[in-house]
Parts: sequence; C-alpha cells; structure tokens
Amino acid sequence: MAKELIMTGCRAAAEGAKAAEVEVICSFPIRPYTAIMMELAKMVADGELNAEFLHGEGEHAQLSVVLGACASGARAYTGSSGVGVTYAMEIYSPMAGGRYPAQMAIADRTLDPPGDFGSEHTDAMCTRDQGWLLGWACSPQEVYDNTLINYRVGEDHRVMLPQMVCQEGYFISHIPDKVILGEQSQVKEFLPPYRPIGPLSTTKPVSHGPQIRPDQGAPMDAQRAKTFLAVPKVIEEATADFNRIFGRDYDPFVEQYKLVDAEIAFFIMGAHANTCRKAVDRLRAQGVKAGMARLRWVRPWPTHQLAEALGHVKAVAVVETSTSYGGAMRGGNLIHELRASLYDLDERPLVTSFMAGLGGETIWPTDFDYMAKVLTEMVKEKKTKRYVYWIGM
Amino acid sequence: MQAFDYKFQQLEPIKSFKRVPAPEMYVPGHRTCAGCGPALNYRLVAKAAGKDTIFIGPTGCMYVANASYLCTPYAVSWIHAQITNGGAVASGIEAAFKVAARKGRNTGVFPNIIVMAGDGGSVDIGLQAMSGLMYRNHKVLFICYDNESYANTGIQTSPMTPYGAKTTFTPPGKEIPEGKVLFPKDAPQLVIGGHPAVKYVATTTIAHPLDLMNKVRKALSTPGPTFMHMLAPCPKGWLFPEHLTREMAKLAVETGMWRQYEWENGTYKYTNVPKQYKPVNEYMQHQGRFAHLKPEHIAKMQAFVDEKIKSVKQAIAVAAPVPASRQEA
Repeated sequence: MAKELIMTGCRAAAEGAKAAEVEVICSFPIRPYTAIMMELAKMVADGELNAEFLHGEGEHAQLSVVLGACASGARAYTGSSGVGVTYAMEIYSPMAGGRYPAQMAIADRTLDPPGDFGSEHTDAMCTRDQGWLLGWACSPQEVYDNTLINYRVGEDHRVMLPQMVCQEGYFISHIPDKVILGEQSQVKEFLPPYRPIGPLSTTKPVSHGPQIRPDQGAPMDAQRAKTFLAVPKVIEEATADFNRIFGRDYDPFVEQYKLVDAEIAFFIMGAHANTCRKAVDRLRAQGVKAGMARLRWVRPWPTHQLAEALGHVKAVAVVETSTSYGGAMRGGNLIHELRASLYDLDERPLVTSFMAGLGGETIWPTDFDYMAKVLTEMVKEKKTKRYVYWIGM
Repeated sequence: MQAFDYKFQQLEPIKSFKRVPAPEMYVPGHRTCAGCGPALNYRLVAKAAGKDTIFIGPTGCMYVANASYLCTPYAVSWIHAQITNGGAVASGIEAAFKVAARKGRNTGVFPNIIVMAGDGGSVDIGLQAMSGLMYRNHKVLFICYDNESYANTGIQTSPMTPYGAKTTFTPPGKEIPEGKVLFPKDAPQLVIGGHPAVKYVATTTIAHPLDLMNKVRKALSTPGPTFMHMLAPCPKGWLFPEHLTREMAKLAVETGMWRQYEWENGTYKYTNVPKQYKPVNEYMQHQGRFAHLKPEHIAKMQAFVDEKIKSVKQAIAVAAPVPASRQEA
C-alpha cells in the first residue's frame, strides 16, 4: 500500500525527487526552499539515494551544475527561492535553449527590497519567458505529484525542456499536510529513466551550443515555440497516466471548482486556492454564484482551456500574487494573459485584478468577499471600473 | 562511495617531439585570427589530452571564433558554457559521469574533463565558478588560456591585462598617460592560495609545446582539481605582427614577464629560467599596446617584474605583486 504521511511541501518535494531517483543535486541555502535540500542531503548521507550532492557556490552555479549534469545524461535537480531565483537568471535561457530537462524546485519568496521572508510569486514569474515549463502546486501532495509529472513531461522527447515546480513558501513549504507517497512500482510505471539526446560522451563526440548565424536564430526560436505547442498534449497524457496509476483526479491545466453554473469567478494559483474554495462555499451559501479556476501551469499557458472554463461567467477576479510594475493592467502578471485568452470569445467576461498575498500576507476569506462584491457591482453596471485593486490598501 | 574505482586516466609523459601523438583533436576549420595564440594553445592541449576528453568552453575568443555558425573544430565532445560558469558546468559533468560509473551506465575510462577558459572566464567573471569547482574537489583540469584581455569583444582590459597596456577600456590620455594603471591578478596564486584540494598547478606558454603538453598530461593524471595558466599571445590585442606570436611568448619568459613553473603539493619547480633576464622593454617594444609608455612607466614595469623574478631565484611562492609594497616582499 502507498504510504500516507504528514509532511511539509519541502519534504514532499524531496520525496518526489527521491522517488524520481535524481542523480545530481546542487544546493545553495536560501529560505524557505532550503529544507528541500536538507532532506535530500540526509537521504544521500544515509545511502537512501545514490546521487552526487554538490554545494553550489550560489544559485547561478546551481543551475550551471545541473546543466552540465543533464548534458551528460544524468537526471538533475536543484531549487531556490526569492532573490536566489533571480541570481541564476543568466542560466535559464541556456538551459531551455539547450533542451536540458533538469528540474528546479521553487518555494516562493518575495524579492528585495527590503528583505522579506514572505511568499510571493514574483520570483519564479520573472523567469516565465525563458522557455521553461512552469507551474504551481497548492498542497504538499501536489508538490510531490508535480515533481514526478514534470520530469515525465520535461524528459519526453517531444518536449525536452527544464521544469520549474513551484510551491508557496511557508503556506506549503513549511505547513505539514497529508501526503500519499507512491509505491516504487507506481513510480516505475509512470516515469521511465531519463533518455538524453546526444549527451556529452567520449565514444560519440558531440558539440553542445555552438554559435549560429543571425538567419539561423528565427528558425531556432520558432522551433522552441513550436515545441511549446506540443507540450499540452504531453501534459494531458502524463496527467491521465498519473491519475490512473496513483489514483488522483487532476485536471491537466485548470482546477475548476463550482464553475459550471458560476456567474462570478476567482482566477488564482497556488496555496491561496485552498482559502478560495472555502470562500466560494461561503458565498454560495449566501446566494452568490461564485466559482474558482485554479491555474496549474503558467507555461505552457492553457489559453483555450481557460477560455472554455471561464468563457461563460460574467466577471472574473484575477488574484495576483506577483507584480508587473508599469504593466498594461497596472498590477500583476496573470491578468494580461487571462484577458488575452478570453479576447477572441464572442461574449467575454469582465476581468479585473486584485493584488493579494503580496509580501507573504494571508488572503483572508473576507478578502474574497470583497472581491465578490466588486465583481457583483461590475456585473450590475456591465463594465470594468478599474484594472486593479490593492487588497488592504 | 569513496572506495569506488572511477577509472581515472593516467597519461604517460611525451618523451620527445617525435613521439607526440599524431591525432589532432582540435582540427582545422575554425575562424581565429592569423597568428592566434589561444588557437595554438587549444590544439596542443587537445593533442596532449587525447580522444577520451570532454571540453567545456566558456564564452570568449575560443567560443566565438571556434564554434561559429554551428561548426566546431573539436574531434572530441565539447560544450559551451557561459563566460561566468565554466567551473560549475564542468562540476555537473564530472558529477554526472561519477554517478553513471557507479550505476554501471559508463564502464569505460573516466573522461578527461577540461575547462578551456580565457582570462576573464577564469579569474574575473568566472572566478567564483572556478573556485567552487576547486573547493569541491572535482576531477577537472581548469585551464586559463591567457591573452591578457577581453579580446573577442574588441580588446577591453581584464584583470590579467598588464600594467601600462592600452585597451579600449584603458586608453592612454592626457590625464592617464599610461593607459592601464592597475597591476594584474596572479592567477595561479589565486588557486594555490585558497584551495587545499588542488595538488597540481602549472604555468606554461605556447612557445614551449612539449612542456605544455606534458604539464597537461601530468595535470590530467593528478587526482582532484588541477589548474594551468598558459600564456597565449594575441596579435590583435597586443598589436604585434602575427608571425611573432611564438616569439612574444618566448620573450615573455626571457624577460621574466612570465614565469614557468610547476607547483606540486606545496613545492615549486621552476623551468626555463634564463641565466640572465633580458630587460622587459625587449618584450614590450614589439607590442603596440605599450607604444605610448614613457621611460618611467617602463621602469615601473621593470620593478614589478624584478620582484617576481626575485621569488623565482629563491624558488619560493611568487609574492608581492606591486612595487608599492616592495619593502614588505
């Protein structure tokens, strides 16, 4: 029988990496993701995991080490938080462009200034256009599951892309919850060994990463963009297999909670979705037809799935836990892409956004009540009055 | 874990030029400048290392001029690294081959893993990654091919650019007549001074091919991380005629501008020590990058070199880099 345990998101990530039998791990400490590496270090020290555990001299080195390892045919794993994620910025594009399907665990943390330990999506969201797969979990269980699903998707030869498996710092990374760990046989059935394409080798010499001519740039970029068009199918297959083998019930892209007959909806990702579900229940008890769409993948962005899930509602509140200073909607990032996803519908919902959970603040049920009130007014007046509302400001 | 036999290579020294292996691992077809020192350097290193080798090439001349337009001149595996991270990428490669060996996926000899980094990719922007590699005790040879500037970007100063050199970031002018006012870092000492895992460090030049190849083979046969500093003159950056590349490296040694040595587990062994050092100007006068210097600047350079030579004569660690601290040396 699969074991059900109580553990934090950090422990769950480490358990996922262990189940995936990662071979090269590169660490550097920064709160809150550090605990993932603490767990893995112990597993290696205890001989439970046959891996090389390297202390990188910074996040830039962490990414560089796993790039080299992945290029040499090893399943590689690293992670970070906050300014650590941005310190490694140079390496994201070479990782994705080189098609090295290593994995990076993120436990979100605010960027500076000033120093704040709180969770905010801005760290990993900064990397969203670097060509990685990117998505958020909403529980330790989903962290474990996403670790395996991401390796399966990323290492698929139709994909071959690095993956960022994100969880909120503290809300998930440090709050224990029930987690069912898979059996070795289940993991084996779901996740085949990493099969590198043209790895560094002494028997079959290869060159990785030579320069190109300017006219070779666009075709290469187009090839990467085209790859992303193929990813959704691979995600669907992997999610279906995962659900079957592990007995879960994930929608591949968007968790839809009471959306079918909803008039207003919250569009959210990550741990605050747990509060949001309760808020939806409470609003429904008061006669407000609310629902929730929770995004599981930011890259690839599920354009059509979102249009399908949210097209029928009258107004959407985008819950933004990352910043896009000076952006088109003056607040966060998600609203831009959601609005774009809905644009081609004949009748589309009104969409506004709420900056919430920034700096690691809790988003309270009453905050969702406030958002629902704004949405209800918008529906009544048939217009979006503001692009963005700052919760608590 | 420690007891595992990774089948690291042991390479015999090459006894004479006649016995230099014929196979080329760095083949024609690259786009380096006429008279390029680093290209010759690469060829000699690759020849010495042989076929069971993986090169890591951080951005620099030897990336841009070699790996152009999807063509590369490597007959062995090669991977581009950023100018920042040669040491870290090499660490990941070494770690991957170790796991592969332990898991039985790779049963052959352990590859020679060599980082070929320019001076910037070694001791400027690449210093942190190089230091990390050496601290972590990876079985990697890190080579700094030193052409004393950021050359492919149009000759900007690096921390290895000598005092008094004209670069596009240190142009001589009315206020700053000598161009570059700072003295360079001491690359091998950076490694020796702070990395107890390193047991072998050597310096050499492209004018001493057998010395170069044998030091490479010795480094590759030494356990743990090793470091080599190689002088690779650059006609474009130093402004000398391209047929004089080898001559420049030779003169650098003859004037004491460059010292040839091996450092093995704490002991220095100097080679190619001239009986009588030539004045530094015999080296500098051929190079347009020094053409603007006045006699007092050349004297300052001579004083700097004299300090270095003193250490050679005493066969101790090279120390006291700048004339300002001469008395303490």
